Amino acid sequence: MNQADVSKLMSQLRIAIRPRHRNLKNKDGPEGRLLKLRKTVTALVKHERIELFYNRADEARGYAELLISNAIRHGDTHNATMEMADYWLLEKQLVHKLFKVLVPRYENYTVSYTRMFNAPRTYPGIYYKNSVLELRGNPYPSLIVDQSQNKNLLHNVLLDEARKEYRRKKLAELAQ
Amino acid sequence: MKSVITITHPCEVFCSFTMSAATKLHKTSWCALRQLQQYRTKANFSASSSSIAKRNELFNQEQKRQRDAVGRIDKIEVRYLGLPEDVTLVMNANISTPYNCAQHLSEGHKRRSALALIDGSVPWDMHRPLQESCTLQLLHFQVSEPHVVNKAFWRTCSFMLGAALNRAFKPEANLQLHSFPGPNIKSGSFVHDIVLQTRNWQPTKEEMRTVSAEMVKLALEDHEIERLDVTQDIAQEIFKDSKYKSEQLPSIAQQTHGRVTLYRLGDHIDISRGPMVGATRFLGKCTISAAHKVADEGETDGFYRIQGVALPSGIQLNHVAFGVLEERSKKLNPARLPNEPFEEHQQLQLS
Repeated sequence: MNQADVSKLMSQLRIAIRPRHRNLKNKDGPEGRLLKLRKTVTALVKHERIELFYNRADEARGYAELLISNAIRHGDTHNATMEMADYWLLEKQLVHKLFKVLVPRYENYTVSYTRMFNAPRTYPGIYYKNSVLELRGNPYPSLIVDQSQNKNLLHNVLLDEARKEYRRKKLAELAQ
Repeated sequence: MKSVITITHPCEVFCSFTMSAATKLHKTSWCALRQLQQYRTKANFSASSSSIAKRNELFNQEQKRQRDAVGRIDKIEVRYLGLPEDVTLVMNANISTPYNCAQHLSEGHKRRSALALIDGSVPWDMHRPLQESCTLQLLHFQVSEPHVVNKAFWRTCSFMLGAALNRAFKPEANLQLHSFPGPNIKSGSFVHDIVLQTRNWQPTKEEMRTVSAEMVKLALEDHEIERLDVTQDIAQEIFKDSKYKSEQLPSIAQQTHGRVTLYRLGDHIDISRGPMVGATRFLGKCTISAAHKVADEGETDGFYRIQGVALPSGIQLNHVAFGVLEERSKKLNPARLPNEPFEEHQQLQLS
């Protein structure tokens, strides 16, 4: 009864997180891995869309989501959040971007703040999968085509005609 | 009345594909194909298997003759326009097809391209040899102007419906394929007109579902759709045991200077002006929704119009919206009926 609701104590992320982190093989060990991820999170906040190997992108995505989520929950007056932002963002001007640009942008979002796509592998290239990681609401043109807007696609032609026929039927009923 | 269709085993319809009436094509899996093949029987072919074998033999002979007749191989330059970059390919005249060009580009082009566009305006089948130097665009169903490829898809659906019906009906039903009118997407349904040796066939839901399942099977089996231009004599020879096709051939050949275009899918051969999409795997969601009795024919037979609606694979539509399309596709399609004279309609279209 007196138990605290866990989901209110910590940020609930809107993406699927793997049960265990990836080690992301690095000669400097865990510190090297974290530095790699900090660089990635910094680049993501800076450029808003980056292309990189899938593993690294997926790993960094979780940290970026958590950072933005905490920034929205606690604001810029919360010590722990500020420390976290200071740790993950290597370029310090991006801390301002996080609280002044990204927090207002994502305040009312009901979906995740980042988005990931599979990207093509070059042939013959190296084995690793490629991906694109981006912040939602970025200023670049969309990577996926919005199919609902193209009236000429087969399903849209069919639906359009069905709608017209329905209206004709209703009008005929009204005229009676 | 006894069923004229070999009803597909229920577990086959339900387990292999989907739980709903709208038979939805899932990603081709080898496993599913293996499952299907154990149910395939040659026995339920409606036209006798010997006549089908004869047709295919003639088709193969003519195809081989045309390939051998190419003789000295000339090179042509095909200028490919599109992603990832414009390139010029040096191909063989009368041998290389747009599909071969796609093979040079990438796996994705090969898999995705449904139809080719020659010189920016002429639709060209993926498996039809190129004749001279030209520019080439490869079309799929999500290009910004998909009219041409949609039309080809609709035509292919009618053609595939013929093959599916051939498989579904028992021999005693005496199914004869009549023809299919030109594709009209706005009418909401694709059509194949048939003649059955019964005057009061009222298909049950299971029977229609079986035909839909046959369509999905065809799509899973991923048949290449071959095109062949033949002279009228050879076409007459191929369709000599089909009363309606032989009747239609002279007027078709008259319009096209004595040449008739045939299409083949697996072992099913039909006459069509084309173009069609490259393979049957482009068929996604598909439902054969209705069979309408159109007219009586002869002493005992009747004309029936079979209708359905389909979407290309890769186009997602929720089942409520697809249900609306299914409902609409049940209404009798207003295209020319098989018992109306062919020439008159042609003149109407021209005027």
